[in-house]
Amino acid sequence: MDSLHHFARYLSGSAVDAEDLVQEAYARAFRAAPTFAWGTNLRAWLFRILRNAFIDGRRRTRRTSDEDASESASEEVPFAHEPLFGDIEMEALRGAVAADIERALSALTADARAVVLLDLEGFSEGEIAEIVGCAAGTVKSRLSRARDSLRKLLAQYRR
Amino acid sequence: MDCMETRTNLLAGRRGLLSPQEAASLQEHLRGCELCTRADAADIELSRTLSRLPRRDAPQALKRRLESRWAPRERRWPRRVGQVVAVAGVGLAVAAGATLFLGARERSDAMVTEAVNDHLRVLYSEHPVEVESGGIHQVKPWFAGRVDFAPSVAFAGDQDFPLKGGSVAYFMDRKAATFIYGHRLHTITLFVFRADGLPWPPADGEPVGSQRVYVRDDRGFHVLMWRHGDLGYALVSDTSPTDLRELAGRLATPGTGSESPRTP
Repeated sequence: MDSLHHFARYLSGSAVDAEDLVQEAYARAFRAAPTFAWGTNLRAWLFRILRNAFIDGRRRTRRTSDEDASESASEEVPFAHEPLFGDIEMEALRGAVAADIERALSALTADARAVVLLDLEGFSEGEIAEIVGCAAGTVKSRLSRARDSLRKLLAQYRR
Repeated sequence: MDCMETRTNLLAGRRGLLSPQEAASLQEHLRGCELCTRADAADIELSRTLSRLPRRDAPQALKRRLESRWAPRERRWPRRVGQVVAVAGVGLAVAAGATLFLGARERSDAMVTEAVNDHLRVLYSEHPVEVESGGIHQVKPWFAGRVDFAPSVAFAGDQDFPLKGGSVAYFMDRKAATFIYGHRLHTITLFVFRADGLPWPPADGEPVGSQRVYVRDDRGFHVLMWRHGDLGYALVSDTSPTDLRELAGRLATPGTGSESPRTP
């Protein structure tokens, strides 16, 4: 439950929404329990339910269309080959405080944020793919790009 | 492997998730590409940075609410539904003391194990202290907004047991204010946390200061735990039991430091 709430809190960016999401996920899990296939990954199943609840909520509040469009576009952006910040970037990462990390995380798209959080929870690429509903290869590139963005964001905060 | 593919595979490479051929190709590219080598170093540092992302555990009120509604009860649901909800509610069970399966001693042993594990995290941490000590009046206010209680500590540190600083950790399912003391070459960690809902040992503690203190050993570490008012305390170190009792006596006795513990 703590892990689900942690995921929900950073995914939604709101303490109130996080509680609603966890409650909604529990309610959906209860309703869907008879269809759960034993032998498959229950933890990943619960996280997928919560993420789906998050997406449904965003659709209901009509915040999703513009974001989804920009997220789809950002999927296509290849790695930028601009020079890294080098020592400045390293110092920024070392000096980043909790508020910086939370701010950088919240600046990512919801999909990017999700893969970073799920990776931190210890899910494998295959499990993350199952949760977010995409191919494992997509998870790898999405996670890599998200981490790239996080590094640049954290470096900018400290400049 | 080009730069783009290398960057995509850096994390998987460090985790040993690539095939031997992919790993060799990655290493070959890194040897010849300064930018990707620097990106790899920065990505390693990012992992350390992300480990400092604060945990946002479920509030106790939410746990209680969900527990009252979804906790598995005998014959309430069909077997499969009950199993799913039981697994989903593992966190709830821990928070509630896992009373179904464990005896009182075993449950309190879980607290001892947790205290030692948390102490080990302090020892292993590159940055065990998030706020350097300039005295208890500098450390205590730092916790405001970081934990959902006011950590009450009766001992401000002295020459024998200097207060090095503080940080926020997790004890079982809740946040803990962590005070780190030194004693010669030993590190002593004091965890202060909300005491409610934890599987405390039966009231067989020995008197230390003005408290009844539970004394346990685990993996070569000595653990002293006690409750005062709403708060719980766990003191952990590999220093001698006598020295640890001495510090516990100062911590558990009002008036030996800068502040008195609040009234129960």
